[in-house]
Amino acid sequence: MVIVRRVKPLPYWIIPIIALLAGIAISVIILYVLMGASPAAVLSAIVYGFTRPGVVAKTFVALTIVGIALLVSFKGSIWNIGGEGQITFGLMAATWVALFTALPYINPGLAQVSMILLAMVAGGIWALLAALPRAYLGLDEVPVTLIMNYIAYYIVDILVRGPWLGKHVYNYIRTDTIPAQVMFPQVPGTTMTWDGLFLLIILFVGVWYLLRNTSIGLRIRILGNNPNLLRSSGISVPLMIIVALTISGFIAGSVGALYLGGDVYRISYPVEAHTANYGYTGILVAWLSMLELIAVPIAAYIVSALYTAGIQYQILVGGHLGQLLTAGSAIVDVFIGSILLMYTILITISEYKIKIIVKR
Amino acid sequence: MAAEANNAKPTFLSPPQEGKKPIVSLRGITKRFPGVIALDHIDLDIYPGTVHALLGENGAGKSTLVKVLYGIYTPDEGEIIINGRPTRLTSPADAINMGIVMVSQSPQIIDTLTVAENIILGLEKYNHFVPVTKVYKTIREESKRVGIKIDPGIEVWRLSYTQKQLVEILRAILLGAKVLLLDEAITYLPIEEKQRFYKFIRRFADEGGTVVLITHKIYEAMDVADKITVLRRGKVAGHLDRKEATIEKIRALMFGERSAEITYERLPTAQPEPKTILEVKDLWVMGDFGGYAVQGVSLEVKKGEVLGIAGVAGNGQKELIQAIMRLRPVMKGRIIYNGEDITRKTTYYLRVNGVGYIPDLPAKYGVSIENSIIENIAVLPVYSRGIINWDKIRELTLKLIKEFEIKTPSPDTPVKFLSGGNIMKVLVARELTVATNLLVAYNPTRALDEATAIKVRKIIKEKVLKNKVSAIIASEDLDEIFQISDRIAVMNSGKIVGVFPADKAKREEIEHLMVM
Amino acid sequence: MFESIASFIVGVSAIFLAYYLAAVGHGLMEKSGVLNLAIDGVFTLGVAIAFAVSVYTFSVPLATFIAMIVAALFGLMLAFITTKLPISHGAAGLSTMFLGYGLAALVGLPARQLQINGRSLATIQPSLGGTWIWFYVVAFVVAIGIWYLVEKTKIGAAIRAAGENPASAEALGVNVLAVRLFASGVGYALIGIGAAVFELAYTQVWSQGAGMGYGWIAFAISLSAGRHPILILISAMIFAALDKYRFLIAATYNLPPDVGKMLPFVAAIAAMIIFMVTPLKRKLAPPKSLGKIYFREERTV
Ligand SMILES: Nc1ncnc2c1ncn2[C@@H]1O[C@H](COP(=O)(O)OP(=O)(O)OP(=O)(O)O)[C@@H](O)[C@H]1O
Ligand SMILES: [Mg+2]
Repeated sequence: MVIVRRVKPLPYWIIPIIALLAGIAISVIILYVLMGASPAAVLSAIVYGFTRPGVVAKTFVALTIVGIALLVSFKGSIWNIGGEGQITFGLMAATWVALFTALPYINPGLAQVSMILLAMVAGGIWALLAALPRAYLGLDEVPVTLIMNYIAYYIVDILVRGPWLGKHVYNYIRTDTIPAQVMFPQVPGTTMTWDGLFLLIILFVGVWYLLRNTSIGLRIRILGNNPNLLRSSGISVPLMIIVALTISGFIAGSVGALYLGGDVYRISYPVEAHTANYGYTGILVAWLSMLELIAVPIAAYIVSALYTAGIQYQILVGGHLGQLLTAGSAIVDVFIGSILLMYTILITISEYKIKIIVKR
Repeated sequence: MAAEANNAKPTFLSPPQEGKKPIVSLRGITKRFPGVIALDHIDLDIYPGTVHALLGENGAGKSTLVKVLYGIYTPDEGEIIINGRPTRLTSPADAINMGIVMVSQSPQIIDTLTVAENIILGLEKYNHFVPVTKVYKTIREESKRVGIKIDPGIEVWRLSYTQKQLVEILRAILLGAKVLLLDEAITYLPIEEKQRFYKFIRRFADEGGTVVLITHKIYEAMDVADKITVLRRGKVAGHLDRKEATIEKIRALMFGERSAEITYERLPTAQPEPKTILEVKDLWVMGDFGGYAVQGVSLEVKKGEVLGIAGVAGNGQKELIQAIMRLRPVMKGRIIYNGEDITRKTTYYLRVNGVGYIPDLPAKYGVSIENSIIENIAVLPVYSRGIINWDKIRELTLKLIKEFEIKTPSPDTPVKFLSGGNIMKVLVARELTVATNLLVAYNPTRALDEATAIKVRKIIKEKVLKNKVSAIIASEDLDEIFQISDRIAVMNSGKIVGVFPADKAKREEIEHLMVM
Repeated sequence: MFESIASFIVGVSAIFLAYYLAAVGHGLMEKSGVLNLAIDGVFTLGVAIAFAVSVYTFSVPLATFIAMIVAALFGLMLAFITTKLPISHGAAGLSTMFLGYGLAALVGLPARQLQINGRSLATIQPSLGGTWIWFYVVAFVVAIGIWYLVEKTKIGAAIRAAGENPASAEALGVNVLAVRLFASGVGYALIGIGAAVFELAYTQVWSQGAGMGYGWIAFAISLSAGRHPILILISAMIFAALDKYRFLIAATYNLPPDVGKMLPFVAAIAAMIIFMVTPLKRKLAPPKSLGKIYFREERTV
C-alpha cells in the first residue's frame, strides 16, 4: 500500500461529510457494544447537538477563541500546549478585577473590558515565560508549556485557599461570587454572552488581518516553515518565537475572563477540577482546522456540537449505568474521540490517494 | 571492487558491452505531480558494465526518474523490469534488495547517528538486535580497501560535506550495489576528490557494475559515460552513444534554442570607481567545530566591481561570507561597509541598507519552499515593515517573474512546486533587486543547469555594470569565478593566498594555489 | 532516620514504577518520531482496564497483561496511521486521548458497580516484606534494557533515524513503518503496564476519571529528562516522591498544600534548564521530525 498525492484534490466538501458519517457510525457501534446503547437514541442526540446553535454557543465561542490563539503559534511551529495555563492565568486576572478592585461599582462596562484585557495580559505573560527559554536556550516548548499549566493551577489554588478565600462561601473553598455588574450579559436565546461574541469577532478579524497583512504575521508563517530564511533576511528568530507564543497566550487568556464572567462567576478549589479543559480541547480544534483560520470556527462547531450531543444523550437515556456516570462526559468523550479520529484519518483522502500494489 | 583493480589504470575508453541484456529497463514510466508531468512515458534501457549519464535542464525529470528507480516515488503508469523480470519497487529497501543504491547531492546519512549506525541500517544480514559495533570491523576493512579514512564510531554531524559523500559511497559498496544511482552526488566535491570518484566509477563499471550518473557538467559526463540519455520536459529527447556524442548535439537536445546562449567567455570587465564599498581587515572567525576557519583575512571591494573568491570547499569561504553578512560572530578584526564599521551590527542593518545575499544551499537557507513566491519576496525587511502592501509586492513579483523568466503557474504557487532552477531564479531575482549597493553570494549557480547558470551570471554582471553595484562572490566552480569576476582572490586554509586581476589570471596558477 | 528512609523507599516504589514505565514508554515511542499526545487517554483507559479485569478475574497478572495488550494496540494504531498516512499527529493523538477517556469510563463503571455490590479487587502491596524490591528491579532492568536497545543496537539506530528524518531513514533502507510500529507498540505496552501498576499497586481504588492527568505527568517526566531511559529514573523519582509526600512536606514546612503539588513541576522545569546549558543538550534534544507529517513523495531540500 502506498500513498501518492492527487494531481487534482477531490472537491473539499465530500470527504469531511463521509468522515463525519463514518465516525458517527463507529461511535454508535462502540456505545452499543460496550453499554448496549440504542443507536436511535445516539443518533437523535447527535442530530440534536448539530442543530442547536443556541445551546452550543458558549462552548463554541470559547473553543474558537482558543483555536485561534493556538493557531497563531502553531503557524510558527511553536507548539503551545499551554492554553490551559494561559486561560487559568486569565481567569485569575479577571477575578482580581472583579473582586478586588472598585471598578465594577464605578463603571461596570469598563470593568468588563478591563477583566478581558487584563486576562489577556496575564495569559500573554504566562506564555512569555515559556517563550523566553525556548527562544534563547532552545528549551522545548511542549513540555514547558504543559508543565506550566499545572503550575498555573496551583498558583490559583494557593490564592483561592489563602488570600482570596471568600467570605460568603459556607464551608466551600472558593472565592466570593463576582458582583452582578460584571456578570457578562447573555445573548438572548443562547448560552453565550455579548462580551464573548464581540471578542470572538474582534479576535477573528484581528488575527486574520495579522496573519495576512502584517509583517509579523508573514514572519510567523515563515518561522514555521523555514527559520533559516528569517535569519538570512536579517530577522531575529528568537524574537519571532517570543512574539508568536506571547500573542498566542494573550488571546488564550481572554477565555479565562469569559469563563469567569459568563459561566462560573467564581473560582472553586481546586481549580484543576473545575476547568472546562478548553485549553486542551482547543488544541484539537486547532489541529482539526489543518491550521486554516477559516476552518477554526467550523472545527470548533463540530467539537462543541459533539459535546452537546453527549450531554443530550445523557439526558435522553438517564442514568443507564447507575448514578455513577457523571454528566455524560464518557459519552461525550467517545463521540469526540471516535468521530474526530475518523475525520482526521479520512480527510487525507481528499488530497492523497491510496494505491494497493501487488508484488509479483 | 576487487583489489587488483587498484593499480589498473582507469581507461576512459571502455566500450559499452554490446549484446548484453539490460539490467534495468523502463517501459512507459509516467509520474505526475500537481501542475506538471515530471515523467511522460519514459522508455530506457540500462546495461550492466556501463556508465549511463542522464542529462537534462532543471526540472527535466532526472531526479524523479532515479527516485522511481530507488522506490521512493511510485510511478503512475509503466513498468520497471530488472534483470528481465517486471518488478514493483515500493520502498528503497526493495531497491537495495535488488542491488540498486542511490546517492544524491544532499547526503541522506543522518547527522545524529554514527557512521556505522547509518551504514548498518541497510544491511540485511544483521538482525535487528545486534549491537552496532558488530559492523565496525567490516567498515574499517572495506574503507581501507577503497582508500577512504573514516572512523565508524564518529557522529556524522562532525564530518565535512566531502566526507559525508564518501560515507555514502562506502555505504553503497557495503550494500553490495550492482546499480549505482548518482544524482549530482559528485558535482560539489573538490576537484581532487571528484577525479578519484570518476576513477572509482569507471572501475566499478569495468568490473560489471552499472552507474546512472546525473550531472550538469556535460564535459564530465562525456568523459566518463558510455551512454548518454537526455531528458527534456519529462520525455526522452534522445539517446547517444559516447562515439556519436558531441557537446553541441547534447546541448541542442537539452536546451533546444537556448543552447545558443551558452558561452564560457568572460563577461565584460567592470570599470570600478575608487570608492571602497566593503573592507575586511584581519578577520578571524570560528568554524563549526572549534578552531579558526577564517584566519586573518583582509580584502577590499571597490564600487562597481566583482570580487571572486576561488577555493576548494571547506577552506573558510562559508565562514567568511557568513561573517560579512553578520550571521557568524567575528572573533577579531573589522568589517567596514560603505564607510561604516559593521563588525558589531546585525544582519538586519545590512539587509535594509542595500545588501543582497545569496547563501549556499539556497533551497535550505535562502527560501522557504512551503511558502509562495510572493511571500518569499515579501519576507525581506525592506518590503515588509508593519503593514504589508501586497499590491505593490505582487506587482514587483510579476515583474520579476517576467524579467527572470521564472516558470510558474502564478505568483501564489508554493515554491516547492517549482523546479530547482526556477527556485534559484526566485532567490536571485529577489536578492538582485535589494542589492542596490552590494551583493554577497556563495555558489550562486550551484544546482543550476548550464544555460540557466550562465543566464544568472549574466544578470548579475549586468546589474553590476549598469547600477555600479559591488559584488563579492565565493564559488567552488572555477568556470564561474573566471566568467564573472573582475578580480580573483584565492582562499586556502582560511587565508587569502593570492589576488589577481581576472583578465590576467592564469587558471593553472589559481588551481595550484587552491590545493597547495 | 533509617526507618523513615526505608519507609520512604517502600512508600514511593509503586508510583515510581508506574511513572517510570509510562514515561520511558512514551520516550521510546517519541524517539521514533510519532508525537504522542494520546498518552493521558490511554493511560486512563489502562487504569480502568486493570481495575475491571482485576475485579472480574481477581488476577493481578491477568489484569496487567490485558492493560498492556490494549495499550499496545493503541500504540500500533497510532504509529500506523501517522506513518502510513500523511495526517496530523496532534489531531490523531488528541482524538485518541478523548476516545481513551470515554472508553475508560465505559469499561470501569460496570466493574465499579460490581465492586460496590461486594466484589473485591485484587491488588499488589509494596510492603516492607520484599515486594517493593521488585518494583525497583523492574524499573532498573527496563531502564538498562531500553537504553541498550535504543543506543546500541541496529533497531535502536533505526528508531532514532526514523525520528530524526524518516525520508532519509527510508532512503538508507529502514522500513520506517515497521520501526515505528515496534517502538510505539513496545512503548505503549510499557505505558499499559505502568497504568496497571498505578491502579493495582498505588491507588487501589477506582472512580470515574481515575488516572486522568497522570499520563500528562508521565509525559512531562519523560520530556524533562530528554526521553533518556536512565535520566527518566531520576525525574520519575522526584515526581513520585513529591506525589506521595507533598502534603507531608507542605505540612512540615507550614506551606499551603498546593505549594507541595507545584514542587515537582518546578523541579522538572529547573532540570530541563540545567540540561540545556550542559553538554547533554545535544543528546537530549527532541527528535527533529517528531510530530512532522511524513509523506514519502514530498519535495525535500
Ligand atoms: N515531490 C515533488 N512534488 C511535486 N513536484 C515535484 C516533486 N519533485 C519534483 N517535482 C517537479 O517535477 C519536475 C521534475 O523535477 P526533477 O526534480 O525530477 O527535475 P530534475 O531534472 O532533477 O531537475 P534539477 O536539475 O533542477 O535537479 C519539476 O517541475 C519539479 O518541480
Ligand atoms: Mg534533480
